[in-house]
Amino acid sequence: MHERLSFYVQRSSAIHDLNPLTKVILTLALILIAFTSPWYWTPHLLVLIAIIPLSFLGRVAPEFFKTAIRLILPAAGFLFLMQAFFQPVGESVIFKFYFLDVTQESLMFAFRSSMRVFVMVSAFTFMLLTTHPSELMSDLTRRGLPGQFAYVIISTLQILPQMQAKAQTIISAQRSRGLDTESSFLKRAGSVVPLVGPLVFGSLAEVEERAIAIEARGFTSKKIKTSLHEIADSNSDKIIRWVLTILVIISIALKIWLS
Amino acid sequence: MKIEIKDLRFTYPTGLDALRGISLSIEAGEQVAIVGQNGAGKTTLVRHFNGLLQPTLGSVMIGDWDTKKYSVAKLASRVGYVFQNPDEQLFSKDVGAEVKFGPRNLGYSKEKIDGLVTRALALTELSDKTETNPYDLSPTWRKMVALASVIAMDTPIVIFDEPTTGQDAANVARIAHVIAELRREGKTVITITHDIDFCAENFERVIALANGQVLLDGAAADVLGQEEILAQTYVDPPQLTRLGKRLGLKETVRNQEEFLNALS
Repeated sequence: MHERLSFYVQRSSAIHDLNPLTKVILTLALILIAFTSPWYWTPHLLVLIAIIPLSFLGRVAPEFFKTAIRLILPAAGFLFLMQAFFQPVGESVIFKFYFLDVTQESLMFAFRSSMRVFVMVSAFTFMLLTTHPSELMSDLTRRGLPGQFAYVIISTLQILPQMQAKAQTIISAQRSRGLDTESSFLKRAGSVVPLVGPLVFGSLAEVEERAIAIEARGFTSKKIKTSLHEIADSNSDKIIRWVLTILVIISIALKIWLS
Repeated sequence: MKIEIKDLRFTYPTGLDALRGISLSIEAGEQVAIVGQNGAGKTTLVRHFNGLLQPTLGSVMIGDWDTKKYSVAKLASRVGYVFQNPDEQLFSKDVGAEVKFGPRNLGYSKEKIDGLVTRALALTELSDKTETNPYDLSPTWRKMVALASVIAMDTPIVIFDEPTTGQDAANVARIAHVIAELRREGKTVITITHDIDFCAENFERVIALANGQVLLDGAAADVLGQEEILAQTYVDPPQLTRLGKRLGLKETVRNQEEFLNALS
């Protein structure tokens, strides 16, 4: 009943089968290359030749495009407009808007920065679509990430939908006692206490129970823990990670070299 | 107040068909238990009685009110609903204020509210705890506060969602006493329960639901005797009923008294 707050789409694909760390490195590599590469068209090309084909390979293209259109494009578009209008660079004015000049240079600059942001957000979206959050966390914990850190991430993802469901039940219970939540604003403002009170008390009690429950299973024990759920980490994963790391180093080196 | 349900169907937004054509009528003053496995549609059904859910198809009438035409806050004057978990509704700093909340929402006069609150507290044996913060009480007593806060609304129909789950024997007896008292006052009591002994001892009519449909509906003795049919919805008849069957007693027995009478 309680689903997780996550983008994850359960499919079987070559990307889903990759080790979670490989996907994290892939994401970071795409972002770093987009931001450091000295060549102007790199971020644009990365979207066309890497991110979009990868979303097809991972069989999450419909979900990916939906998120891109709804979320990433408006944000990147807004950034583009701000940068195009307010970046005081360049001479060749294309058009004037009151006191704001839009120049060829500021357009070019804005196009690249918004594409960089687009790469950053879409690479993360792609990773979240193809990686189960608990799988990612258990893999990272196995590699030495502190368990407490993983707990904070995972429990946040779990608690939000649970609180939502709980809030819904509380609203139903109070409406059943004649609380009017549908009429005037004043009446509704007065109905906050009966709704928030049980939600806060209940959630605090739940947090404590959860803490006791995981401690009962030796959460803070210093011993090395075994995992019921084995996460594959193949040789090709390792090769992919090395190749990506080298690409990032080359990109950063070129940047330093050329500047 | 009569409840009339006509060919009620309900589909959740997720596409789950929770109720698939239920027709029932419950007369004023009846004591009805609703049993059935988890997911059979018990809670979904009773949430239609006070308008928390609206029929996808069909209709629910509470007296002369069609639930589609009245808000939940309005229907609260006819149907009281005690939720399963008291912690999901208690918020006041003391028991007295908590119990007052419902009748005050219904807009009764001050004298009437005081009278109703005093009666509800007496009925639930909370009279000496009016000043206590509900969260300082044990879970069993918090349950009684939740009961009192709905009984004080003085609705002709009262719904209990699994009132005995997690309660000790003393509190189950208290809840049974409350139900008996409501019956004496001529109120309709509808209870969802998994506690089949509680069901056998306190209710005249039992409705068994399975997969969103009525599997059995009738006098408690008739329904609880249908061991094979009840098994379809994972309900076991009470131990004494099953023992009576094995012993070859002619009539279906529900409690100790009936069992002993049938033996002698």
